[in-house]
Amino acid sequence: MIIPIRCFSCGKVIADLYEEYVQLISTPQPGTDGDLMPDGEAMDKLGLNRYCCRRMVLTHVDLIEKLLRYNPAEREIVKIGQRG
Amino acid sequence: MPSWAPLSADQVAEQRRGLSEEQLQHRRIVNINAETVTDVSATDIPGHYGPGQDDSWDLNRFAQQLRIDYHQNRPNDAAFSLIGLDASIANAFRRILLAEIPSLAIEDVFIFDNTSIIQDEVLAHRLGLIPLTGGTKGLKQLRWFKKPPPKDDFAALAVYDQDDLDPSASTPNDHNTVVITLDVECRWATVEQDGRDGKQLAVDGEIDPTVRYINSNVYAHQLVFEPQGEQVQWFSGEDVIRPVNPDILIAKLRPGQRISLRCHCIKGVGGDHAKFSPVATASYRLLPHIEITAPIVGSEARKFQRCFPRGVIALQKDPASGENKAVVADPMKDTVSRECLRHDEFKGKVKLGRVRDHFIFSVESTGQFASDELFLDSVRLLKAKAQKFKRHLSELEEGR
Ligand SMILES: [Zn+2]
Repeated sequence: MIIPIRCFSCGKVIADLYEEYVQLISTPQPGTDGDLMPDGEAMDKLGLNRYCCRRMVLTHVDLIEKLLRYNPAEREIVKIGQRG
Repeated sequence: MPSWAPLSADQVAEQRRGLSEEQLQHRRIVNINAETVTDVSATDIPGHYGPGQDDSWDLNRFAQQLRIDYHQNRPNDAAFSLIGLDASIANAFRRILLAEIPSLAIEDVFIFDNTSIIQDEVLAHRLGLIPLTGGTKGLKQLRWFKKPPPKDDFAALAVYDQDDLDPSASTPNDHNTVVITLDVECRWATVEQDGRDGKQLAVDGEIDPTVRYINSNVYAHQLVFEPQGEQVQWFSGEDVIRPVNPDILIAKLRPGQRISLRCHCIKGVGGDHAKFSPVATASYRLLPHIEITAPIVGSEARKFQRCFPRGVIALQKDPASGENKAVVADPMKDTVSRECLRHDEFKGKVKLGRVRDHFIFSVESTGQFASDELFLDSVRLLKAKAQKFKRHLSELEEGR
């Protein structure tokens, strides 16, 4: 659901790398015409060398973002939107 | 003297003089063939090479052979070669590193309020896995906290001997427990407090939760250490108890959701729970050994080079023929894939193996202690265990 704190197999801390990883693979690289960084290169950059740690960030599905939408705050936005 | 009687160190040296350096080196190699692995066990056992020879363990010889070379030594990642000891000892160090060196981690979480969508037990588990650090001196002198068994666990209570225990060890106090609190509440960003109207931005189509809300992400650096009693002296300033990685994402919140909790951190060992393990990984591999028995030249040499990872095999100009000759440059980089054994042209020209007593150790600390210091701790712990065992043996002998 949310990125695990550590790699399941070796115990390396990965929860602080996931946001940076998403940032790296979703923003165009400077000096190119909008090319994104390949996943493998981003993981190398973050120091994820073993394949156990690499699968942690590579295959993670951040479901919490979907679950967070079941929230009164979302309804509030709709309400304000209708009023304005 | 019977033939099986142990030889003196002088006699061993006398016999070893008859062996060439090559023969002695050969005993250190584990052969790796296309389908099989041979000579896997150590041979320094009394009488292994016949009654006349004694290759039993000898302290002086061991002290002479033992070598440690550091390849890299960073606090979070150390790699070194441990040369000249048996696999059983090297493995003991590895296992002690993983499971027996004590470290501090969150053990009990008292949750006062948790309206986030991360359940209490999941949140507590996530908190436990966060590696903590602080003043090494203070951490080392922290005492054990002995958890009394639950009141309804009669089997455990029967074994649990209350008289034997120091009563202060099972009550949280400043010598055995570290308190950390976490208090976060998510809310909409407002003009008065944050200079932007989150609600209006949301209506206008802003989707980034960090812009719309305040505290939408809970990070490890929001954990607050609360020193108890004498802890102010040990853990203050630079030595304050804090998460090693401040940017660990603990939970995500939306407006109105709140997390309020208090954690009790205690000292524990990795054998009890992986969160107490001071290393992320501690592992070793044996040094690969490549022996080219017949010259490999020309285009074959280039093909041979490609059978190995880059940098393992180098090409050298042979002065006689003027052709390139394959030589072993750096066997440490090899992965022992055995690719070269699949090609017929290299049959009988190369022998692969591993050096049985050369361990390439890699210790990756989670950050509470430095990696090299942890390895020394594992050596100290093994020594203490051996001394304890010896004491028990002598007690047994004395019939106590
Ligand atoms: Zn891993």
